[in-house]
Amino acid sequence: MERRGLLALVLHTHLPFVRHPEHPAFLEERWLFEAITETYLPLLERFQRLANDGVPFRITMSFTPPLLAMLADGMLQGRYVHHLDQLIELTEKEIQRTQWLPPFHRLALFYHHRFTTARRLYVDVYRRNLIHPFRELSDRGLLEPIASCATHGYLPLMETQPAAVRAQIQVGIQAFERAFGKRPLGFWLPECGYHPGHDAILKEFGIRYFLMDAHGILFGSPRPKYGAYAPVMCPSGVAAFGRDLESSKSVWSAEEGYPGDDDYREFYRDVGFDLEYDYVRPYLNGDGLRLNTGIKYYRITGKTNEKQPYDPDRALEKAVQHAGNFMFNREKQTEFLRSVMDRAPIIVSPYDAELFGHWWFEGPDWLEVLIRKIHAEQKTIRLVAPSDYFHEYPTSQVIEPTMSSWGYGGYSEVWLNGANDWIYRHLHKMADEMTRLANAHPRPDPLRSRLLNQMARELLLAQSSDWAFILKTQTHTAYAYRRLRDHLARFSYLSDAVRQGLVDEPWLSAAEAKDNLFPFLDYRVYASSV
Amino acid sequence: MAAPSQPRGGPGTPPRREALALDVSAQAPSASTPAGESQRQGPSSATAVEEQFSIPTGYGDDRIVLMVKDPWWLFAYWDIHPNTERTARRQLLPHEVAGLHSILRVYDVTGIDFPAQPAHASCDISLSDLATNWYIHVDAPNRSFIVEIGLLANGGRFLPLARSNRVTTPRFGPSDVIDEAWMTTDEAYWKLAGTLGVGVSSSPLGWSALLGQALSSGGWSSVSVLGQGRPSLVRGFWCRVDADLVIHGSTEPRAAVTIQGHPVTVRKDGTFSLRVALPDGTQTITIDATSPDGRHIRTVTPIVTLAWSGSLTSTAHRSPRTTGRRMAPKPESGGAS
Repeated sequence: MERRGLLALVLHTHLPFVRHPEHPAFLEERWLFEAITETYLPLLERFQRLANDGVPFRITMSFTPPLLAMLADGMLQGRYVHHLDQLIELTEKEIQRTQWLPPFHRLALFYHHRFTTARRLYVDVYRRNLIHPFRELSDRGLLEPIASCATHGYLPLMETQPAAVRAQIQVGIQAFERAFGKRPLGFWLPECGYHPGHDAILKEFGIRYFLMDAHGILFGSPRPKYGAYAPVMCPSGVAAFGRDLESSKSVWSAEEGYPGDDDYREFYRDVGFDLEYDYVRPYLNGDGLRLNTGIKYYRITGKTNEKQPYDPDRALEKAVQHAGNFMFNREKQTEFLRSVMDRAPIIVSPYDAELFGHWWFEGPDWLEVLIRKIHAEQKTIRLVAPSDYFHEYPTSQVIEPTMSSWGYGGYSEVWLNGANDWIYRHLHKMADEMTRLANAHPRPDPLRSRLLNQMARELLLAQSSDWAFILKTQTHTAYAYRRLRDHLARFSYLSDAVRQGLVDEPWLSAAEAKDNLFPFLDYRVYASSV
Repeated sequence: MAAPSQPRGGPGTPPRREALALDVSAQAPSASTPAGESQRQGPSSATAVEEQFSIPTGYGDDRIVLMVKDPWWLFAYWDIHPNTERTARRQLLPHEVAGLHSILRVYDVTGIDFPAQPAHASCDISLSDLATNWYIHVDAPNRSFIVEIGLLANGGRFLPLARSNRVTTPRFGPSDVIDEAWMTTDEAYWKLAGTLGVGVSSSPLGWSALLGQALSSGGWSSVSVLGQGRPSLVRGFWCRVDADLVIHGSTEPRAAVTIQGHPVTVRKDGTFSLRVALPDGTQTITIDATSPDGRHIRTVTPIVTLAWSGSLTSTAHRSPRTTGRRMAPKPESGGAS
């Protein structure tokens, strides 16, 4: 053990399944496009640069099946290239338009370069499928990809439907294996939502560890000797790593975190809102509503509406400073923990991947600099993936963690409140129905098998925690409501078809083509053993 | 309930498309569908099934489901068929009917086999007749609960209509159980929890504050790709004004045009245009058009001044006129002809 402490950076990568072949362009598909341009491509580019420079590192990323499915989907790949082409065209116009305003002209060139580079990487280098380069990083031992639930279902609120919990886990792992060609060692519980007993299901599928929030371990029983700075072994034999809140805070916190620095790019000033309407109209969606294009010219500046132009060099300098600060704080933290612990602490810092680049524009730079600094400038901490820990310390204290999540309040409040509690009545009913039908049809004919599999897809899609989250945050609520209704409607229609023995085959084919993820799905995962 | 309903049924009966009969002999025991009602007609278009569907308010399946929101709060929803309630009411004696009302009876069943063993404690929550769900403040971490929904008759008789699943609230605070092989002290425990540097003292109270800081996408919506509301950064009235200048003209189709020395595209019909963001001050703009054979050159030099009076910046003192800003882009010379 050559270092005094271990640091595990974990990026949770997830988007809900948003794919609308029935419309030529669909606003919410931009969630994927923006994440590709601003997060996934920049991260890949930096990881590969680090690898090519011979900088050793270990980073952990969870990939949810809806995102994996969208990244591999031909229709969305084509739409993404079109989206980039539109942005490139807009930046060409912007280069002209800003020629008498040097700070903005420079930014127009900056964005034009970014988008053309993104296009080159996406089309020419990665051949439109970003799973391949992530997989390659995994094969090189730099990236530890981990699995997650089938559709980011929030498991603690599914507790009355154990078969649905199992299906979320099992289908999630199957999707991971298809994407990465190997079994996952780790598992990301959506929203870090843990409920005692779910570890046993993970164990059945060979999972070695999962991540949870610190209080889930600190309040576990017996009392943890090392707090959240060593994994604990659940009764089932699966390890749980607790999130370190100090390092979380420095990145997540809206008030004190790095991303709020005045020199960083301002998210809320975008040419899609700022420029003259007719000029940007061709780059808006069909409905003509203004939207974020990703071309943003201002820095945060301060708590003012008078924003100053963004300066990428100055922002990069700040990212370097912040990376140094983060590393310094982890070193100090490690020394302190070491004084209380008789083994090396592991500091686990999980973040949403989309935080880096999309929200915190300089996040990918910060991450690259942090990795370089950890390699070159200190000897206290070492970057690891959680699974590396077991080579150092094979034994862990056996503890039953408590139900918890990383959401506001630490429990289930974000996904269970007056704005969204009505959905569970339906989700639970669907899950019960699915299990009943799975039990009733152990050996279906091919057509009924298709019906039941599609039912399972509709159920899984309805269970995505994103809908509850969106209903709570009051943005895009109409879309979340519509998605819940659509999946419920299709599920109900399919259920009737199974029951009545009548199938509108073209309709079924259309549904299969629309909600087309999990082609391998076998609805019998919902069968209960009772 | 935020489930707006839509009128059922669509225009006319959609044409039945190719409907395949399945082998019904292997049919399942009748399963009720979540929709409650079924759509017997084939859908007329790809989205007809969805458009015609309204999310039902309930399923009438006589059940109550209990969920844990946090260590202090539970949530229950229920769905009682009217017939079930009617049947229960028939058991009542005439004098019991007055004051009859629905209640939730909350049982503390920690560590016991309920109902074989009696609950440690119970309490009743009176419900409004319209309620179909309820948040229950048990204020009791690490305890187990079951609830029943039923009718409380005058005289105290309780007619349960449905009983929930069992839930256990999470422990909030350190466990009292200490494993001898992994000995720890209070001091060491709180040191490890207190490394957070976020005001966690040696009590769980600090945790309540900490967990309320929302250090994840679940709490901070703007971080998520999904939540892109556009907050006004500084409250109060605001206004922004910028000026773009569009220079446009026409010439012979294959002529070459430069503006400030930079070539601009001449379209097939001979028109050209350039949009530029106009800086403050005076711009002398040189526009050169060169004939296709290179022999003729026309030059025009419009001079454009953008000057501002007034201010959009909020000022410390309140003067009603300070936001009056005028913009005066004035072409001072002849434009391109």
